Amino acid sequence: MTPRRRAVLLVLPALVPVAAVVGAALVSAVLLSLGLTPLVGRPELSLDAWRAAAGDLGTATRLSLGIAAASTVLAAAVGLALALAATAAVRRSRLLGALAALTIPVPHLVGAAAMGLLLADTGVLARWLGVSPDAWPSLVGGPWWVAVVAEYAWKESAFVALVVGGVLASRARSYGETAALLGAGRWARFRFVTLPLAAPALGGASAVTFVYTLGSYEVAALLGRPYPEPLPVMAVRLAGSIDLAVRPQAAAVAVTTAVLALAVVLLALRALRRLSAWH
Amino acid sequence: MSAALDLEGLTRVHASGSAPALDGFTLDVPAGSCVAVLGPSGSGKSTVLRLTAGLDEPTAGSVRLDGRDLAGVPPERRGMAMVFQRPLLFPHLSVRDNVAFADRVRGVPRRRARERAEEYLGLVQLAGYGDRPARALSGGQEQRVALARALAAEPRVLLLDEPFSALDTALRAEMHDLLADLRLRLDPTVLLVTHDPAEADALADAVAVLDGGRLQQAGPLGELYARPASLAVSRLLGGRTEVPGTVRDGVHTSALGPLALPGPVPDGPGVLVVRPEAVRVTAPGDPAADVTGTVVRVRRRGLRALVVVQVPGPVGTAVEAELAAGEELPAGRPVGLVLPVGARTVVPPAGPASAPDPARSAISHG
Repeated sequence: MTPRRRAVLLVLPALVPVAAVVGAALVSAVLLSLGLTPLVGRPELSLDAWRAAAGDLGTATRLSLGIAAASTVLAAAVGLALALAATAAVRRSRLLGALAALTIPVPHLVGAAAMGLLLADTGVLARWLGVSPDAWPSLVGGPWWVAVVAEYAWKESAFVALVVGGVLASRARSYGETAALLGAGRWARFRFVTLPLAAPALGGASAVTFVYTLGSYEVAALLGRPYPEPLPVMAVRLAGSIDLAVRPQAAAVAVTTAVLALAVVLLALRALRRLSAWH
Repeated sequence: MSAALDLEGLTRVHASGSAPALDGFTLDVPAGSCVAVLGPSGSGKSTVLRLTAGLDEPTAGSVRLDGRDLAGVPPERRGMAMVFQRPLLFPHLSVRDNVAFADRVRGVPRRRARERAEEYLGLVQLAGYGDRPARALSGGQEQRVALARALAAEPRVLLLDEPFSALDTALRAEMHDLLADLRLRLDPTVLLVTHDPAEADALADAVAVLDGGRLQQAGPLGELYARPASLAVSRLLGGRTEVPGTVRDGVHTSALGPLALPGPVPDGPGVLVVRPEAVRVTAPGDPAADVTGTVVRVRRRGLRALVVVQVPGPVGTAVEAELAAGEELPAGRPVGLVLPVGARTVVPPAGPASAPDPARSAISHG
């Protein structure tokens, strides 16, 4: 058996279920959105569902991309800072690392509930600060989706820190010392050594965060406002509607989300390949 | 560009209560010279470099560069560059940009920095390799780039932490020649750390022997070979003959009999050490022979062989001798040994802490 064939065989058990589940789901969603598998009536190729959803689809796409981008940027920045702090070999860094790791097993739904209790106008923070509910900015359900972004950023920053910290732990110190002895100060070491070393891991973790946030439902549903909706919230609402005729619209929204996520993954993979040429 | 380095009373205790990794280490490295710190692993020699470079803070003592105390000066402002055992080339940069790194962080324009990098790559005989990614080099080439990168920083002191010990013998010899050549051209002050006496011999003007965190002896290597100050120095430099005895009126008395010493040595217990190269093997009946014994073991060392000669006596004492090139002696052959007076050195007996390990004495006692 050639090594190549053996490699393919080894990957198959992982590949087959993924391809089957994702492929089947996507294909049935596409068929449904094109009117080819209606619940009632004759199958007929039509773009009716897409047309019907089109009005809100643009807004929802922009909103979803915005939330995902803001959450990813925040999570990447905070996660990188946490990873740097944790690898700085200071005594309190262990505490920081432990706190970051604690975040990881908390489910998003619990995180969202906690974030709501913390940031709502009658929440803990408003009380501690002694601000009356009227004067408190509408962080939960407000126009800027602050609580939603905060929850994603909080939760995903721990993930970013874990991934980036793992990469930096083994190499940041020796390369940092080498750079220092070549005359690089703190900022130059960060700019020319640490950041480039962390970049592939940071890019990968950020891509995962972005795609996850783009397709995640519960946090936006719990902490967001009723309208406009991000893509996943819209898809779930339409799919669960008592009006069965809107199911194809739900499928259209789901397909849009999947295509966006796929595009982001492909772009990220291309960028990462360029970055990993360093390693 | 070179400066005089002056280490004084350097002490480093890693954790309070533990034995110091380095204890009161004092060393002068004159401008433009190369001094080697020689010691076994765990002797504290890398600590010397880390303290000198400012990567660790000394618990006590000072590092001075041209008389200026460097306490509190961060590594990037000390004007020192270090080459480690691993090349540690930045994986995200090309070979050229690795060498240009020091200039770039100093704010030299990219083009000028790259031109200078090419010059330094030429110095280490890697002209034309600049465009390669750092990981596309062999081990020897990587270490040469690391050397070029350190030199391009124009350090006032170049620190070398066993930089060639991961290379094979031929490459190491090549690197030694290269470094000797660079010393002639650039005249840097070099502080080298190594566990290999041959490397210290090939590169350094003077050697400081470190054992257990303490300076044992410092001076030109020839002097250390001829007159080791302690058992630790003798052992580190490959001396294996150790004969315990007593000194009285300039004569060492032991299982080998009374042997006159070349210089004044205080009376009392002392261990006679003799380098194997100095010992001459003759016929057992030779009237010039100081001792007679039997060859109990032959150790090959390239063209020359080392023989272990057991001298009869109540304790059973062994003396090692190096044979002339091509000379052969089988085990069991009785021989006479000439221990030239000038080669006899008496060192203080080892304290309980540094007693010879049993495996070693088993060999030397045949």
